[in-house]
Amino acid sequence: MYTLGIDIGSTTSKCAVLRDGAEKLAASLALGGIGTKGPAEALDGVLKDAGLALEDMAAVAATGYGRTRCEQAGMQASELTCHALGAHAAFPQVRTVVDIGGQDAKVISLVGEGRMRNFMMNDKCAAGTGRFLDVMASVLQIPLDELGSRAVRAESAAAVSSTCTVFAESEVISLLAGGVDMDALAAGICASVAGRTAALVKRLGVVPAVCMSGGVARNDGVRAALEAELGEPILVSPDAQLFGAVGAAIYAYKKAT
Amino acid sequence: MTVQEHLSRFEAVAKDPAGQLKGHLAQGRKVVLTAPVYTPEEIIYAMGLVPMGAWGGDMELRRSKEYFPAFLCSIVQSIVELGMAGAYEGASAIVIPSLCDSLKVLGQNWKYAVPSIPFIPMTWPQNRTPDYARDFILAGYERLIRDLEAATGAVFEEERLEEAIRVYNDHDRAMRELAKVLAAHPEVSAAQRSAVFKSAWFMDKAEHTAWVTELLAALREAVVGPKKLPVVTTGVLADAPGITALLDEYGFTVAADDVAAESRQYRTDTPEGGAPLERLARKFQAMDCCSVLYDPQKRQVEHIVRLAKDSGAKAVVMLLTKFCDPEEFDAPLIKKACDAAGLPMVQIEVDRQMVNYGQARTMLETLRDTLTA
Repeated sequence: MYTLGIDIGSTTSKCAVLRDGAEKLAASLALGGIGTKGPAEALDGVLKDAGLALEDMAAVAATGYGRTRCEQAGMQASELTCHALGAHAAFPQVRTVVDIGGQDAKVISLVGEGRMRNFMMNDKCAAGTGRFLDVMASVLQIPLDELGSRAVRAESAAAVSSTCTVFAESEVISLLAGGVDMDALAAGICASVAGRTAALVKRLGVVPAVCMSGGVARNDGVRAALEAELGEPILVSPDAQLFGAVGAAIYAYKKAT
Repeated sequence: MTVQEHLSRFEAVAKDPAGQLKGHLAQGRKVVLTAPVYTPEEIIYAMGLVPMGAWGGDMELRRSKEYFPAFLCSIVQSIVELGMAGAYEGASAIVIPSLCDSLKVLGQNWKYAVPSIPFIPMTWPQNRTPDYARDFILAGYERLIRDLEAATGAVFEEERLEEAIRVYNDHDRAMRELAKVLAAHPEVSAAQRSAVFKSAWFMDKAEHTAWVTELLAALREAVVGPKKLPVVTTGVLADAPGITALLDEYGFTVAADDVAAESRQYRTDTPEGGAPLERLARKFQAMDCCSVLYDPQKRQVEHIVRLAKDSGAKAVVMLLTKFCDPEEFDAPLIKKACDAAGLPMVQIEVDRQMVNYGQARTMLETLRDTLTA
């Protein structure tokens, strides 16, 4: 049985096709989230890679902020439900999932069999999310991917506010004007996101093992800073950004069987 | 009338406060606005005036920013926004209590922002339970009465307060009974429940009691709908259509509420015995379990957990009004108590300018998933 998961986020769209709710046949990621060509591109990409058609799918589930507008999906599930399923499939020992996406941050507490016990989301603010990193990379005029690598090699971190993206942007511009080293700035930016996220994790309780999902999991600087804040190693899969889509495909399989 | 027809009547009132205001004025009655959270409506009612709740509305805030900083309770800001837009024109006065810092600021700015509607302060004591607080409350009532007489030309007579207290106690009892009965009728949607409570702010309380009594009678004869997921709601407001629609969409039913604009208003009756003004003062002294009523023991926290257990609720939905300091201070304590009781709780940030309910949708959908997994 083939099932398809579609994760339409705020900045990217992801798809995954599973066989029997476990074996990943194909996955795709396209830039552009809800309201863009991203979802269609991700869907075309995953079906092409899997060598299958939409009609071959026994069930299709959508998740992410665009889940309610996905015509191809016969069911919807919240991104927390799907990230929990995706993270558990990748790391069965995981009890805390930290998902930092383009527009929000979420912490999920799991019980043994991967069921959600509790969860928490950030307040309505871009600070502590992928959007914050996007804005800061733009201020520094470096590619987003470079933020993490610069942060890791920095000897020290500049102090950057975690309260507000707009305030932090002004701070970073002032620090740049003051000649602060670019690597230290990158480390400060990553630490800012990590600090905000760590507060959310601690409110829910840090239960090892901890893993990251979502696009920001690819940022080594944020991950290292978050590990330091939490005092726990963080598991990261190369597929962390696909956990939502994989989880949606698992969700579809569970509903179909 | 069927239950749905009864509910439609309440919904029509809840959606049209301006029409209600016009209706009262057309009947030759004078209207006095009452701002959140607690005002002694009985005094206003006893003077032959119609108290109408002014809790703002869901809207984009523009002109109120001439008086307020951006990071201030949007309920307060929307009250001024509506006032500046002329939505309350025709009202004879507005009574604004002093129960939180934002409300104090509301009163101060109202005088300049909406000069056509006189501002009357109702200054409550923070330490309300000691005996000396009663004298303070009584002095506040005297000031209120003087200001109401000046603004409306109406005259206060203590004998008529006895009758007003009876009307309000009857209404309190009817609303408590309604909350209990609605918990057993999941077919009444969260939006409809909200409308019944909201309409109480705009109607003559005696008439609202009559409507509620008729609804209760209809509910007793009605077929109970399929079971849903019972939750307790808590917060200042729970009337945003976007929120109630999501509660309904994800199969929740409100088993009980701890909402300031809803059941918190009806928990405490005015006690019997003594002069009516003193009885009314004792009512305020007896009120409790609310973020704006000072309580070093923070009994509201346990109250919410108990409410959930007693009503059979599976979870608590906290609708946290952004920049509401009293509610935000209590939120971590409530969360901790819910965790200790094994009661799932979601905290959804709301405000009067909310247009995007994506985060609320995700939280409620996930809550449903955790409760049904």
